[in-house]
Amino acid sequence: MKLAIKAAIFAFACAALAAQAQDRVIRIGVAMPISGPGSYFGVMGKEGIDLALEQFKGGVNGYRLQVQYEDSACSPLQATNAVKRILDQFKPHVVVGDECSDASLAIAPILEQAKVVQLNAGSVTMKLTESGYKYVFRIFPNAEQQGPPLARNAYDKLKARNAVLLYEKTNAGQDSADGFEKFFVAAGGKIVARIDFGRDLNDFTSIATRIASLGKVDVLPTFALEGQTVRLAQALAQAKVIRGGGGNAIQMGSIWLPYGFDQKAGQAAEGYIRIVQFDPTEKRAIVQDFIKAFRAKYGADRVPTHINSHAYDSILLIAEAVRRGATDSESIRERFSRFKDVEVTTGRITFGPNGQNSDLSVIHFVETQKDLSWKGLDW
Amino acid sequence: MVALGLTLIYGVLNQINFAHADFVTVGAFTAFFTATRFATKVLGLPDTGGYLLSLVAALGAGAVLGFLVNAAVFAPLRSRGDELRPLIATIGVSVLLENGQLALFGPIPYQFDSPLARETIRLGRIFFSAQSLLVVAVSVAAIAALYAFMRFTFLGKALRAVAQDRETAGLMGINPNLLIGLTIVIASALAGMAGALLGPVVVLTPFTGASLIVKAFAIVIIGGFGNMQGTIIAGLLVGIVEAFTVQYLGSGLIDLVAFALLLTMLAVRPTGLIAERKEENV
Repeated sequence: MKLAIKAAIFAFACAALAAQAQDRVIRIGVAMPISGPGSYFGVMGKEGIDLALEQFKGGVNGYRLQVQYEDSACSPLQATNAVKRILDQFKPHVVVGDECSDASLAIAPILEQAKVVQLNAGSVTMKLTESGYKYVFRIFPNAEQQGPPLARNAYDKLKARNAVLLYEKTNAGQDSADGFEKFFVAAGGKIVARIDFGRDLNDFTSIATRIASLGKVDVLPTFALEGQTVRLAQALAQAKVIRGGGGNAIQMGSIWLPYGFDQKAGQAAEGYIRIVQFDPTEKRAIVQDFIKAFRAKYGADRVPTHINSHAYDSILLIAEAVRRGATDSESIRERFSRFKDVEVTTGRITFGPNGQNSDLSVIHFVETQKDLSWKGLDW
Repeated sequence: MVALGLTLIYGVLNQINFAHADFVTVGAFTAFFTATRFATKVLGLPDTGGYLLSLVAALGAGAVLGFLVNAAVFAPLRSRGDELRPLIATIGVSVLLENGQLALFGPIPYQFDSPLARETIRLGRIFFSAQSLLVVAVSVAAIAALYAFMRFTFLGKALRAVAQDRETAGLMGINPNLLIGLTIVIASALAGMAGALLGPVVVLTPFTGASLIVKAFAIVIIGGFGNMQGTIIAGLLVGIVEAFTVQYLGSGLIDLVAFALLLTMLAVRPTGLIAERKEENV
C-alpha cells in the first residue's frame, strides 16, 4: 500500500514536471515565402533560423524555442491564411515575417488583434510601422531609411542630377521609389522617368530601349527582386546605358539584393552601387562567428546573404528577450520595446516607439568592381 | 511558340492543357543543365555548341514528358469518354511538375546565359541580343515546319481529320488515339524548345512557365482557339502592342493593355482573329 502511494506520488510529480517542461516553450511562428517568385527569401530565411535554433538547442533561460513554418508565397491572401493557421494550431508567442511588404501588411492587423508580436526582418514599406501597430517590430531598414542615403549620395557624391526610377509594382517598390524621389528632388535633382513593372515581367529590352532614348541619365535607382534586377542590369548594359555596358549611368540599389547578384549579372553589374547591411567581409566577431557556423552547416563554399543573417538575427533577438525574462507575447513585446544597442549580425538594434529599428550604424555603401567583388565606399 | 502548342492541343483535343507552362519550365531546366554541365564539362563542347545541343535536348525532354504524361494520365481518362476529368488532370499534372521542380532545383533563380545572349546587335538606337534573333529564327523555322507538316504530310492531314471529327476519322482507318498522342508530343516538344530559347531571357525558376502561360492563353484566345495562323498573328500583335505600351504608356500597363485587347476581341470577335471555318452538309 505504502509502495503504491509512493508510486502514485512519484508518477504525479513526473507528470507535473513534464507539464511544466511542456509549458516552458517559446513558440515562434514563421511566415515566409516558400513558393512563388519570392521563395528564395523563404529558403534563405529558413537556413538562418535553423542555424540559430541549433545554437539555442539547449534552451534559453530554461525555455525551449520551438518554430513552425508556414508558406506565405509573398502573397497577402496566402500570408493571411498562413498566419491564421499558425494562430489557430500553434498559438505562437511571436511571429517572424513576412519578407514581402504586401504580405507583411496583410498579417499585421491579424497579429495585432491577436496580441502576438510580429518581428519583421525583410519588408521595407513605411506603412508597416507607420500604422500605429503596437505589436510590430522591424529590424530591416524601411524605405525612408534607405532612400534618403541613396538620394543624398547620388546627388552629393556621384553629382547625379537626373535619375530614372525602376521599381516593382508592389508596396515595397513604390515606397522605396517614393523615398528616393522625395529626397533627390528636394536636393535639386530631377526624376526623368518612373518606370514600374510587374513581378512577372522577364524581358526588359523595351524598358532599356526606352531609357536609352531619354537622353542624359545619371543614376538608375532600382528596387526589384534579384532575378528581375539581373535581367534588367543585363538589358541596360546591352543598351549601353550603364557603366557595365560602356554607358555613363550608374545603377543604384538598396539592401534587397542578396550577395551573389553580381556574379549572376556578370559584367553588367560593374559599377553597381548599393547599400548593404550585412557584409561578409565585416570584422565584427559576431559576423565572423555567424559565417563560420553557416559554412560549417551549409558548405564551405557558401557565403551567407543578408536574408540568412536577418532571419538568424530574428531568433537572436527573441532569445535575448527570453534571456531578459520574457515568457509570453506581452513580455516579449515589452522587452523588445526596451532594447537598446543589442548587437546582432546586421548591426545593433534599438526599437523606436513605432517598432522600427533606428540604429543604422553598420549600413554602408559598396561598389561592384570589374572583378565583381565589392569595394566599400566611405560615404 | 508556347501559344502554338496550346492551340495545337486545343485544336485536336478540344481541351486546354494547364500543364503546358510546366513543360516550358522543364525544357528550360533541361537546356540549362545540358548547356552548363553536360555539353561543356562532359563533352567539352564550346559554349555555342553546348547551347545548340541543349535546344535539341529540351525538344527531346518536352517530347518524352508529353508522351509519358499522355500515356499515364490523359489517355486513360480520355478513354472513359469524360471531358472534364482530363481537364482537371492537367491542373494536377501542373501542380506535380511545378512542385517536383521546386523540390529538385529549389526556388533560387538560376542564371542561364547563352553565349548569344551576350552578343548585342544594333540598328541605330535599336538594339537586341543575338539570342532574341535566335528565338525569332528558331520559332519561324518551327512554325514553318509545323505548318508544312500539318498541310502537306499524310500524318498532318490525318491530324486535321481527327481535329475535325474524331469518330469519322476513326471510321476512315485513322487511329485517333495515336494521333492525339502525337499531337501532345509535338506540342510538348514545342514547349520544351520554347523553354530552352527563353531560358537565357527570363528569370529561371520552377515558376518561370507560370509567368508566360497567362500571356500565351491570351494569345490563343485573341488568335482563335485551335487556329494556328490566328495564333501566330496574335502572338506578333501582342508582342508589338506590348513593346509600344512600354515606350509610350509605361511598362506597368503591359498586362492591362494585353488583357484589354483580349476583352475587346472577345466582345467584338469572339471566334478570334481568324475564325475557324466549319462546314456542314445539310
